[in-house]
Amino acid sequence: MTVTSSPPRDTDAHYKVWDVAGYADVPRETKARLFEQVKGDLRFGDYLYGCYECGICVGACPSAKFYDFSPRRIAQAAAREDVDLIYQQMQEDIWDCSQCFSCVRCPRGNNPGGIVTIMREVAVRNGLASAKEALVGYTRIIYKIMSTGTQVSPDMLSKDSFPDWGPETADVADNLDLWRRALPPETMHTTTTGWSVAESTLIELYLIWMETGALDMIAEVDPGLHTILLELMEERLEEAGFEV
Amino acid sequence: MSSDTVAVIGGGPGGLRAAQGIADIGHKVVLVEKQRYLGGSPITQKYYGLTPRGEPAQPQIQQQIDLVMANPLTEVRLGTEVVAVDGEAGAFTITLRTEAARDETFECGAIIIATGFSHFDPGRSTQMYGYFEFPDVITQPDLEAMLSEQRVLRPSNGEVPERICFIQCVGSRDRQIGNEYCSKVCCGVASKEATELREMLPDSKVLIFYIDMRMYGYWENEIYWPAQEKHHIQYVKGLITEVLPKGDRLLVRGEDTTMGRPMEVLMDLVVLSVGMEPSPGTRDLARLAGVRQNKYGFIDAPGTPLDPVSTDREGVFACGAALGPADIEDTVSSAAGAAMKAVGYLRSRAVAKAN
Repeated sequence: MTVTSSPPRDTDAHYKVWDVAGYADVPRETKARLFEQVKGDLRFGDYLYGCYECGICVGACPSAKFYDFSPRRIAQAAAREDVDLIYQQMQEDIWDCSQCFSCVRCPRGNNPGGIVTIMREVAVRNGLASAKEALVGYTRIIYKIMSTGTQVSPDMLSKDSFPDWGPETADVADNLDLWRRALPPETMHTTTTGWSVAESTLIELYLIWMETGALDMIAEVDPGLHTILLELMEERLEEAGFEV
Repeated sequence: MSSDTVAVIGGGPGGLRAAQGIADIGHKVVLVEKQRYLGGSPITQKYYGLTPRGEPAQPQIQQQIDLVMANPLTEVRLGTEVVAVDGEAGAFTITLRTEAARDETFECGAIIIATGFSHFDPGRSTQMYGYFEFPDVITQPDLEAMLSEQRVLRPSNGEVPERICFIQCVGSRDRQIGNEYCSKVCCGVASKEATELREMLPDSKVLIFYIDMRMYGYWENEIYWPAQEKHHIQYVKGLITEVLPKGDRLLVRGEDTTMGRPMEVLMDLVVLSVGMEPSPGTRDLARLAGVRQNKYGFIDAPGTPLDPVSTDREGVFACGAALGPADIEDTVSSAAGAAMKAVGYLRSRAVAKAN
């Protein structure tokens, strides 16, 4: 079944109370287009069959314990092709999912967490306000991973870098060495090794970021970062003899 | 004088199967049918496809009719009603009435009541969901007839419906109406009809509002899953409160219970999934044959579950939806069981007599 464009609001399957929504409404065509992108994802058919509305996924879901989040509602909205509710979920619910995939214990073989993965990717690719907000604290991490190909190292835990990580970050950052030494395993060695990546590996990674569209995914959500990374990658690739 | 003939009252899927069974094992059978044709509800109501697999109803039922007609031990009396049952087990006298001729009688040793059900009439007492008020509110059998004619149109204006919904449990599971039982078949039939609608009208949107879907056994994977997964029929858990007119469409109000919100949806066509009640013929035969009925009027089978076809009267058996809600599969199964019970009864009497 395809989503038809812009039927009158009174044919919507469900009542919506838009004036309490924490985001601006958009035309129905936009919502339908976003859902078409979700549904068009190669994985979608394997992630959604039909929903019993039994709630086994909700019982398994850690996020459902703490947030107004329900993997059942994710599967139901997708199955009903309720583009209004799906849009609402892309602006709100999907960022409450911890992507642990406990929900895959579905008797019908659904993967609500997987649907959330696709919805997040579509939200990021389309620069939805919720995606920008959710990723704002991760700018530095994205920059680190995509430019150096490595993870965050413990010495990056400065309060300036992660304003959204809460007040305890400041304490941890101020006394990082002490905290780290209190942990039984060795943890500080990554501060040096974490920054070193072989030239050939980095070139390969840059090619992957660019060829797969991973780099362009952030173009809408953080244009500044996208520009910085693009220039950095192009320069390095050209030096290495690749035509970009 | 005792008779080794069995009388089967009712010529639907159950009566046809019972008559076949009795004749197959060598006993004479008189099949009495009120209508001028055999086949019962699937033919009278113009069923389109049989649940669960959706094979065309008419040729399927015709095969069963042909099997009965081909057997020389079977006598079929059409356009005929039973007006009296006299005598005792082993030697009943049944009085038949037709429009044309004078009443006549025949002897039989055992009786199988296969008089089936009637669909619940949603306009009967409560005017449920405006069935008589709004032309676009129809019942499952109404839709079967439309599907059979390959013309599913809104009765109000002759247009092709775009949004269609089913309301489940109409006249079933309802203490206020008095039918407290589940009618067993309507979930499967609604899903089957919804699938047929989606195939016939690919641009339509079809919703099913339900209390809980009862898709037992293979109905689960043969009807329910494909309906949802392949045909994208929307199942919404919540019983509809009321149907109201809005413009030239119908506003359907209820709660989307699993989403936890009230809903109002506009529909072009509303299909009431009406349940089963004992047919007038079942009530009449129960009275004439003097067998006990349960509080709903269906014939009581005191020996159920291990003997679900014997009534409280010796020599009188029942099958199919005369005993309570049943799908066709259950009906022919119990009909075959009733045939065995009836013939077994006659033979054991003969053996006892010979000794």
